[in-house]
Amino acid sequence: MNMIEVSGLSKSFGANRVLEGVSFVVPKGTVVGFLGANGAGKTTTMDILCGCIGADQGEVKIAGYDITDQDLEAKRRLGYLPDVPPLYGELTVQESVKFSAEINGLHSSKIKSRLSQVLERLSLGEVRGKLVGNLSKGFRQRVALAQALVHDPEVLILDEPTEGLDPHQILQMRELIKSLRGDHTVLLSSHILSEIQNVADSIIIINRGKVVTHGTYEDLTSKFEGKRAYKVRVGNSYENALAALRNLPEISELKLSDDRSISFNLSSANEMGLDRVAKTVVDGGFGLRELSQTSKSLEDVFYQLTR
Amino acid sequence: MNSIMTIAKRDFKSGFATPKSGAVLFFFLLFMGLFFSSFVKTFIEFQARAGMMGGGGAPTMEQLIKAMFYNLHFILILIVPAVTMGTFAEEQKSQTLRLLQTAPIKAYEIVLGKFAAAAGLMGFVLLLSIGYPLFLKAHGTPDMGVVMSSYLGLFLLICAQISLGIWISSLTKNQFLAFIFTMFGLFMMLVLDFISKAVTTSGGQIEGVLQYFGTTKHLDVFFKGLITVGDSMFFVLFTAMFLFFTTVTLDSRRWK
Repeated sequence: MNMIEVSGLSKSFGANRVLEGVSFVVPKGTVVGFLGANGAGKTTTMDILCGCIGADQGEVKIAGYDITDQDLEAKRRLGYLPDVPPLYGELTVQESVKFSAEINGLHSSKIKSRLSQVLERLSLGEVRGKLVGNLSKGFRQRVALAQALVHDPEVLILDEPTEGLDPHQILQMRELIKSLRGDHTVLLSSHILSEIQNVADSIIIINRGKVVTHGTYEDLTSKFEGKRAYKVRVGNSYENALAALRNLPEISELKLSDDRSISFNLSSANEMGLDRVAKTVVDGGFGLRELSQTSKSLEDVFYQLTR
Repeated sequence: MNSIMTIAKRDFKSGFATPKSGAVLFFFLLFMGLFFSSFVKTFIEFQARAGMMGGGGAPTMEQLIKAMFYNLHFILILIVPAVTMGTFAEEQKSQTLRLLQTAPIKAYEIVLGKFAAAAGLMGFVLLLSIGYPLFLKAHGTPDMGVVMSSYLGLFLLICAQISLGIWISSLTKNQFLAFIFTMFGLFMMLVLDFISKAVTTSGGQIEGVLQYFGTTKHLDVFFKGLITVGDSMFFVLFTAMFLFFTTVTLDSRRWK
């Protein structure tokens, strides 16, 4: 079942077209990364998904409910952490989370226990009585996430949740997001590629208001060029091995790497070619030490898709 | 209904947690005290002077009370914008409005919650001013019926002023602009009755319409000790209209 369904979303601010025909789905229980450069349209998409602003065209369904026509039902199943944490500095941590629980319609009998659970899960117990305005950036971000989580929504939309955090806090936040997988469906936006790579089950890349690709990390890095990158490390006679491999028709972009291994691309439709590579090295007496796939990095894919 | 109360409670509490409310109360009581003592002093002087001249033309307690309430109407032009300027402008600037917009609540519930908090705060301010008529009661015989109807009229006026202020605040992220435009709006409501004569031909239909939309004429009725359905409904409808405008302003961001 898809918990987020977006189809044909378009939005303009004046003459500036921000989104154009954005469509994607997020399956239940998965963490999906929403990757794009600054100004690509991530926050606008998320604001539309959460019902903060309307789209010019297109449809958004949260857990099967239309965000425009059945907004209350959709929002009951939604938790949103915007890029700027929506916090009242004059409230304490506990008051902030309780306020969010109340406006999200959590029954009063459940608020106390749920509050304790969320504060404990986000390690906010020791600061629960402190004013939000006096907290550090990391704590404030966690309070905002607690506000989004307190009513136990099925769908969580997190807009750049690690923005402005120190490396230690980033790791904590990533672990937390990973722990949400399964119980919650998470759409996570970021312009930090490693973050998405580490946390997400699949990735949507958006560029200039259009979705340019959607798939798992492996799909994106391999399918993108229709070729897979490999490297073979030999025991001796690197130049001779290079020359012998050059005769194989199914491999391309053969070159000697800095670590004296030979890298090459192989057409994904012709994986039998790997056997011939191995046979050539062994029969040539070059000494096969390693034959492995080298994944194309997400950076490569991202830059090629968004340049 | 729960959401309205939750939002009202948070706004009311936050209102008292910030220095803004302290400043509002301080300046209200300061202005009120200065004007009141000045009025009482003048009242006593004129009474003494009239007494020396045989008692004719002495100012009455009703005149003193009326002067006090007119003065209060003027002070509200400074105080109400300070209370309403941040209701939505600040929430939009700090992005906390998103917390409310993504919750399963209707825009009118957000608006009513914020209105209730501002009305509660101003109601508290109004309550503090009761000390002045009580002072008069301790030293004279003011008509308490007039005092009570005047307070009712002032509270209805405050509700109308707040609704206008909240609407203006929903149109901008800039609190200062919200303050200035609300103050201008409230000032126009106060003087519309007077300037209608200057901008239209005497007795014309437009003059009547302008006078109707001014608050002074309606408030005068309450200050005379009368509570009429027509004048009460003016304030109620005025309030409802601007609360509706605010709801539409919030909802319009979600329109396709």
